[in-house]
Amino acid sequence: MDLTDTIELPPQPDAPQTVPVGAGLSIFDPVFLGIDEFGHPAYLPMIYRNILIGGEPGAGKSSLLNTIVGHAALCPDVRLCLLDGKQVELGLWKDAADVFVGPDMDHAIRTLRRVQTVMDNRYSFLLARRRRKIGPNDLFGQILVACDEIAYFSATAGDKKDQDLFAALLRDIVARGRAVGIIVAAATQRPSSDIIPPSLRDLFAWRFAGRCTNDVSSDIVLGHGWYARGFSSNSIDPNNQGEGYLIAEGGIPNRVKAAYMTDADIIRVADYATWTRRRSGLAAPADLRTAA
Amino acid sequence: MSKSSQRSPFGWSNRGGQVTVIEAPVARSYRRRAVIAFWVTLGVVGLLAAMVASEYLHPILGGLLGVVLGAVLGAVVFALIVAWPVLRVFWHWLPEIVFGLAVVYGWTTLMESTPLWGSLLIVALVVGVPAAIAPVRRRVMAWIWCLIVRHRLRLCFAAFIATNRHGSLPLILLARPTPAGERVWVWLRPGLSLRDLEQDDQVQKLAVACWANEVRVMRAGRKYAALIRIDITRREPLAHTVVSPLPDYVPRDVPANAPTSPGMPPVGLDLPDVPDVPVSAPTDTPRQRKPRNPTTPTASPNGFDPSDYA
Ligand SMILES: Nc1ncnc2c1ncn2[C@@H]1O[C@H](COP(=O)(O)OP(=O)(O)OP(=O)(O)O)[C@@H](O)[C@H]1O
Ligand SMILES: [Mg+2]
Repeated sequence: MDLTDTIELPPQPDAPQTVPVGAGLSIFDPVFLGIDEFGHPAYLPMIYRNILIGGEPGAGKSSLLNTIVGHAALCPDVRLCLLDGKQVELGLWKDAADVFVGPDMDHAIRTLRRVQTVMDNRYSFLLARRRRKIGPNDLFGQILVACDEIAYFSATAGDKKDQDLFAALLRDIVARGRAVGIIVAAATQRPSSDIIPPSLRDLFAWRFAGRCTNDVSSDIVLGHGWYARGFSSNSIDPNNQGEGYLIAEGGIPNRVKAAYMTDADIIRVADYATWTRRRSGLAAPADLRTAA
Repeated sequence: MSKSSQRSPFGWSNRGGQVTVIEAPVARSYRRRAVIAFWVTLGVVGLLAAMVASEYLHPILGGLLGVVLGAVLGAVVFALIVAWPVLRVFWHWLPEIVFGLAVVYGWTTLMESTPLWGSLLIVALVVGVPAAIAPVRRRVMAWIWCLIVRHRLRLCFAAFIATNRHGSLPLILLARPTPAGERVWVWLRPGLSLRDLEQDDQVQKLAVACWANEVRVMRAGRKYAALIRIDITRREPLAHTVVSPLPDYVPRDVPANAPTSPGMPPVGLDLPDVPDVPVSAPTDTPRQRKPRNPTTPTASPNGFDPSDYA
């Protein structure tokens, strides 16, 4: 079998010239993540879930995060809330996103506070309706909080107080956001205890470990004990970016190669997402947002 | 007499001209089991046969016949069990033996039925065509690896995976080729668990023994703890780039509306453009204090931080 083949998708109906139609994806559909060792497509259901992505510099973490953000951007009812200490990794989605936070600690904390408030309001609302979680086509959509380089916010920028506050807010959102459709996807190089608190790290159900520099680092990303069973992302070829171990459904690490979008691809998808979102009122135009 | 002189070239201990095929403790344990099996067979078969036979014969004759029948069957079972360590080897090598016999008999019948050039031609076709067609060749090689891996794993289990008191090894079930290598299912006997395969670098040893790159062990399902799966990797099937299907969702005629901000002048993009500002210690930074709890190591040499797993 030729592994380079693109996985065939159902043909998209041609969009009319004026009214943009959404891509017809839903965050309730699993995200196509790549292929596994057997050449089968690997899917990642993101709804009601959170994912932590780790790996050495250049392992392909941001590319994977872009795939997840790209899927969410094409979902008509998902709002994007992007935090990126490096700006360029998620920056191409800036116009499609509701909030884009660069290397700005204050903005990051303000944003997480907003998300937290939304979460609390949603829970109050659900309680008033005597419900416990949201479903597809609900009254309100989902929110994807994607954070690249968590280490920048939780260990580098600002002072200790701010960093702890950031970690605490993020932990709260990861811990409680699930049932109201707030999804967190976070990437960092080595999520050891000096970067993010283990109590936050252990909340992420799903893990992706790109190549790691040693077996201990791999265990930190995947969870303790996987190296002993032979699952160490240290054995991945450093030149094979995008390959890694994924813990998703089944709970056993699965060796996968993540799908890759070139910058041109990302720009194309992002522009389309921006266009459809502006028409449907999901994303405010950039100038309005910065003025607010 | 030195120890090495007791050993024959085949590795069998050779005492007093006798070749020990089965080691003494193993043979003893099998003999004990065989004796028990003999008496059980004698009892059960003898009783049953006696009851059936006494329907047709005089009860005493029937009883005698039952005893004789039971003794014969018991002896057969006894012999089978005593010889089992040797028979098992034949069983393990059965595919190879069958294949070898097929080759020999195939060759002789071919030589008898066709002239030499004809048989050579047929052999060349049978061997050459699969060897020339890459997918077929790869398939055949994959199956051969499966056979090899089963032998290698058996060797490992006997050599360094702890066994139970009776010396029974994990049962190697199916082996299947995968794009990366092989996948083998193993049934663990009582006294073993997945932990035994996981502890101190056993999987690395397995990988070495299987001439593989990596070996991973995991449970094969949620139902039986004894059924485990061993994934052996010897190839890299994920080397190619996988193209994301997301751009396919975008219609072709989307207006390009990317605003590239002209507001950012290319200033400060190189080292000389950025002034060298002295570090001003912020007043409110906490002083660097000695850690209260000196027992917590900040980082051990191999990068292991116990607080990561706290
Ligand atoms: N799935 C993939 N397939 C092929 N190439 C990839 C893939 N993912 C990443 N790459 C290549 O690896 C490079 C680095 O990837 P990426 O920026 O995602 O790494 P990273 O882990 O985010 O690094 P850093 O920690 O420095 O942010 C990319 O520029 C790309 O060329
Ligand atoms: Mg990155």
